[in-house]
Amino acid sequence: MAGHASLPIVDVTPPLTAPPLSVGVVKLASCDGCQLALLGLGPLLLDLGTHFRIIEFGEASSDRSDGPYDLLLVEGSVSTDEQAHHLRSLRERSGLLVTIGACATSGGIQALRGWARDAVAPSVYPEPTWVDALPTVTPVADHVRVDAELRGCPIDGGQLVELLTALRVGRRPQLPDEAVCAACKRVGTVCVVVAHGEPCLGPLTRTGCGAICPAWGRGCYACFGPREDANVAGLAAGLAGRGLDDATLARRLSLFTAWSAPFRAAIDARGGPPGFPTTSADATHASGPRATDVPTPGA
Amino acid sequence: MTTGTTRTTDATPAMDPLPVTDATRWWLPRAELDRLVALLRADGRTVVGPAFEDGVVVYREIGSAAELPAGVTDEQRPGRYRARVSTDDAHTFGFAASPTSWKRWTFPPSVELGVARREGDQLRFETPTREVPPVAFLGARACDLAAIAIQDRVLLGGPVADADYRARRSGTLTIGVDCATPSGTCFCTSMGTGPEVVTGHDLALTELDDGFVVRVGTTTGRDLVDRLALSSADASQVEAARAVPDRARAAITRQVDTNGLSERLIANPEHPRWAEVAERCLACTSCTMVCPTCFCTSVSQVSDLDATSATSTREWDSCFTLGFGAVAGGNFRTRRQDRYRQWLTHKFGTWVEQFGSMGCVGCGRCVTWCPVGIDIRDELAAIAGPPPAPAIGTSLPIAAAHPGEYVVATVGSVTPETPDTWTLSLHDVDAAIRAGQPGQFMMVALPGFSAAPISISRYRPDGIDLTIRAAGPATTALTRLRPGSQLGLRGPLGRGWPVELADDRDVLIVAGGLGLPPLRPLIERVLADRGRYRTVRLVIGARTPDDLVLRPDIERWQARTDLDIGVTVDRAGSDWTGPVGVVTQLFDRTAIDPVRTIAYVCGPERMMQAASRTLAGMGMLPDRIYVSMERHMECGVGLCGHCQMGRFFVCRDGPVFSRAELGDTFDLEGI
Amino acid sequence: MHDTQVLERRLAVPSVSRVEGEGRLEVVVRGDEIVEAHLSIFEVPRFFERLVVGRDADEVIDIVARICGICPVAYQLTVAIAFEHLCEVTLDPEVRRLRRLLYWGEWLQSHALHIHLLHAPDFLGYPDALAMARDHRSIVERGLRLKHAGVAILELLGGRSVHPVSVRVGGFSHVPTVAALRALRPELEQALREAQETVDWLATLSFPGFQLEPRLLALSGLDGYGIDDGVIVSSDGLRLSPDAWEDVFVERQVPWSTALQATDRDGRRHLLGPSARIVLGGDQLHPLAADALGRVGGAERIRLERFRSILARAVEMVHACAEALELIDAYQRPDAPRVPWTPRAGRAAWSTEAPRGLLFHRYDVDDAGRVVAATIVPPTSQNQAAIEDDLRAFLPSVLSLPDREATDRLEALIRCYDPCISCATHFLEVDVQRLPMAETPG
Repeated sequence: MAGHASLPIVDVTPPLTAPPLSVGVVKLASCDGCQLALLGLGPLLLDLGTHFRIIEFGEASSDRSDGPYDLLLVEGSVSTDEQAHHLRSLRERSGLLVTIGACATSGGIQALRGWARDAVAPSVYPEPTWVDALPTVTPVADHVRVDAELRGCPIDGGQLVELLTALRVGRRPQLPDEAVCAACKRVGTVCVVVAHGEPCLGPLTRTGCGAICPAWGRGCYACFGPREDANVAGLAAGLAGRGLDDATLARRLSLFTAWSAPFRAAIDARGGPPGFPTTSADATHASGPRATDVPTPGA
Repeated sequence: MTTGTTRTTDATPAMDPLPVTDATRWWLPRAELDRLVALLRADGRTVVGPAFEDGVVVYREIGSAAELPAGVTDEQRPGRYRARVSTDDAHTFGFAASPTSWKRWTFPPSVELGVARREGDQLRFETPTREVPPVAFLGARACDLAAIAIQDRVLLGGPVADADYRARRSGTLTIGVDCATPSGTCFCTSMGTGPEVVTGHDLALTELDDGFVVRVGTTTGRDLVDRLALSSADASQVEAARAVPDRARAAITRQVDTNGLSERLIANPEHPRWAEVAERCLACTSCTMVCPTCFCTSVSQVSDLDATSATSTREWDSCFTLGFGAVAGGNFRTRRQDRYRQWLTHKFGTWVEQFGSMGCVGCGRCVTWCPVGIDIRDELAAIAGPPPAPAIGTSLPIAAAHPGEYVVATVGSVTPETPDTWTLSLHDVDAAIRAGQPGQFMMVALPGFSAAPISISRYRPDGIDLTIRAAGPATTALTRLRPGSQLGLRGPLGRGWPVELADDRDVLIVAGGLGLPPLRPLIERVLADRGRYRTVRLVIGARTPDDLVLRPDIERWQARTDLDIGVTVDRAGSDWTGPVGVVTQLFDRTAIDPVRTIAYVCGPERMMQAASRTLAGMGMLPDRIYVSMERHMECGVGLCGHCQMGRFFVCRDGPVFSRAELGDTFDLEGI
Repeated sequence: MHDTQVLERRLAVPSVSRVEGEGRLEVVVRGDEIVEAHLSIFEVPRFFERLVVGRDADEVIDIVARICGICPVAYQLTVAIAFEHLCEVTLDPEVRRLRRLLYWGEWLQSHALHIHLLHAPDFLGYPDALAMARDHRSIVERGLRLKHAGVAILELLGGRSVHPVSVRVGGFSHVPTVAALRALRPELEQALREAQETVDWLATLSFPGFQLEPRLLALSGLDGYGIDDGVIVSSDGLRLSPDAWEDVFVERQVPWSTALQATDRDGRRHLLGPSARIVLGGDQLHPLAADALGRVGGAERIRLERFRSILARAVEMVHACAEALELIDAYQRPDAPRVPWTPRAGRAAWSTEAPRGLLFHRYDVDDAGRVVAATIVPPTSQNQAAIEDDLRAFLPSVLSLPDREATDRLEALIRCYDPCISCATHFLEVDVQRLPMAETPG
């Protein structure tokens, strides 16, 4: 593991005798799956309280707190103005702010909506002045300073523990920035591209998941997002004619980390995500408003 | 070779000690292959061999011969592998290289190195006892056996042997198979490693339609033959077996011209093809991970939640990752082309000077398993041009057995040097450490942090000093230690300043910034025996006056009359009365005699480059100019690969090098 | 009954805790009259029905998993089965076994999570499971072990427990070896014992006596407890094919919530989830689960008393473990992890049972097999209207309490339904624009 390739994070070196750090866990637009990683720590979860004071974690506790937090874990992406304001105020009350998961880090699947604003939105929404929804769904770092990010859809529990223990010890978390391929090889998973002709985004994607998809017989879908030095053009050229034409590559990239800068550029260069054509002529593809939904309020 | 027992670290590093020359050929009928497997298992060995799983021949533990991939053939070309069960061919070993290589067992992807514990103020560094069950490799090809021999030289043949590898290798038994079915990516014939098994085997099999002709390589192999009560092969079987590798040899059509390849490759560091291949290369690490000889590793730390213990684990790493060449505050190989060049020039170039052969056995795995099908045969042909001269080999250093384990020392005092740099005076330091040489370094560890290489900045009768800049988390944590704190030390490591060469010469010592601490033991050694040397000049530079370290020493030196000292800063404050500018401006052309002078230079790499150029320009020979290199280091003993620079491992062969040893690469970007 | 001096009183839980997603509870009472009782879901909509447009079935499986981090498998498998029905794909029977096993893994981890980390603290008077563990560590640890048994199934079959990766139309991308599956046995055997212990422990809790005759809806299995196949049945005699949900039910927009509410065309509300399944499909419970149900007094009190839903959930954990063990024993590795299939145009629709109740998907598909339009009806948007009815009925019993205590009780009632609020916000489009996001009473 390239331990030195950690994401830059502010140096935190509290003395080991420091009082327990106060921790908050909050969510924006998301599925709650990354918060589940915390609840999935097993027996370790019960010992967390000795070393951390979890003062805000709505999914797990009725005891709530507005902070301040030594460490704030943020799940989800920003899709309303209210969330953006809320996030800014959270930042002011937080020592370290760490994004957890693909939504918070690169927008998540809902960020695909960002491609809809020109061609599709008017055809779908009769009244384009949409209440309290921003035209794009954006990652946390577009709004406030982020000290570290845990990648993945969902995050890996082991990386979460690494973050917490690294903070305890006072060092950088080791979150290697290497291709999924490296993890496949260490695990002993045979390359699905070479052996089965299955297109795979592993060479572009940061490790951390444990290289699950290839081990389960399918190509990586980049839920941990682009690694540094992701050679999208190289992959496109290398796999062209082997099941990964431009449209297919755009389709594959258009999932949970589509809005990350390198992937967004690659998607744009290949005609946009499926279902969100970048030319208005194709806009009829989108579904219209549902007719049955007109309510009688209150019932 | 013992059987049925576990080997530990202390076992003899026995590749089988008794190779035998035995012209007898034995016959193992196909139906009796399982007796061999059963015998090996009965001896307590884990039998590892090929199996057909999910469309691929992989190596894994084999319970019986029935699990072997009878009838499976494969087709391999750059970036493509397909295997299938053939109906008209029931050979057991009818395929070429597997994506698995045997290093998975001799040099596993992940190995626990030890646990560092903190109990109150006390530190403890524990190394696990290495108990490895003996393994039998069934079906290793000649190229794979050659790869094992290469890793033996790398991991056992240097000054420090890798303890885990030694334990695993001492328990391995190998049953080789002559290759009958090379694939489209094979080029063992170019590398001189195959297709027939010649060495490195306990037994070697040649597969015929109805069984195997068996050759004995060692007494262990002979013992197996005896216990299986094999009969001799008849003349027609021996004849048929002889034809097998000949057919394989003829089937390998793509060759690599290895004649003078190392020199041609090293001579082309600026070839445009490096940049071109880097556009295709994904830096995914697949080639290095499937390579049976690649040995680079990194160490990661897993701490427990209360931070009282941390486990260090060594994992396969690759020179293709961005982090591989990173040091605090920088990276030596930021461009993909730097990393591709690093890999290829090491494999086919500098490996020869380090280990006596190329690091490639022609198995073709890196070609097949490159997802975008980059073929090193093409890259070599494009970059290395036509052959000018024959290849050379060098002799290997003698192996030493001391793996180097952490010992604990105590911080006596902590002295601030600059806002971000402190000197730690250590007490209770092992005598072996205090006996180190100027310019050597220590690997310094705290539980949970990666170990940091730190030069020794002073030897005292009761300890050593370490001057440390808080550049990353580990060094920051070190600088926050207080008197009484413990830390772990491993060393002294590396090759220091060659003080002995200075006898009766003019001595020029050039320090830039934090380059002064590694030079201080040298300066003190020289001043302690001042009469041995002619003039002694000390030139010290720093960015600003506030960045000057070891100021009491500088003042002490300035007070001496037998020492010519100049101190300069890049940017002066109002209270600075000394010179302003780079260190080379203090090189007095009239005072420096290029023939009589020996120079020791330490500082940022750019400063060392500039100083060397200036001194060379004055007529100094490159073998009289010594510099101390900084690279990413993890192991400190030449085993993890991170600090490999040309034919050197900086940690083992340096950090001090003469300018002559470094050659032209010293001034290149991305080495 | 209550003796409040204020004419108008507002009880609000600005953000309901220990539920999945973000919801708000708003109640306005004037004298004895309950003016409003709303479970307002303010989870920001993510427009999944729009996001799947243009995608093929396997992509939809990956995308809709992200509706919910707790029950992704329910979403994935509903898509897979819907497309398999449309395209007339015949599954290998071993694949069907693994599908059910995957479901049980999700149910087990979801139910164990809900019981121990979200709901039990209400009965024992703790703000959360961490606090509860200080006094009842062994109970919480047992719950975490039960949860892990489910996670182990999910990880083996799908690679990870949240958003597993292996479900494909026609089967899986990868199926485990028999040996790998059998290796789950010891943990599941222990889980079965501990699920039974959990049922018995829960039976010792004291339950608020709040009763209400519900209208229930669940999938009733044909050859086993209903999860992936069967008939949608209701407590008042409805029988409906799993693809025909829209024949009877509609979704409506309400102004105080970003989630749609589902009712039948006459506006009648229904309750889903463990209690509904225990009542409507109890005859299909595994004998060990039926035993456990008997030990806690049978289905009838669970049917009437909302707070007993936690018992139904525990009984279902027993079933999940017991059937999982049988599936593991019967498993033979299929020749191929999935069967080939050809896309076709049409309407792919199906209903399955998520841990917290029935969900329905419908996809209109073009010739290339790509989605043109989608409707996804999660359990919580079906439960929401009924939850509000229950809240109105429950309110008089808490009005005499101080605000904090009253809202705590109301929150505890909401947790009985295990609302999965992130899921509930599937709806897309437009009506949000015409109506205020949240109505401020008064």
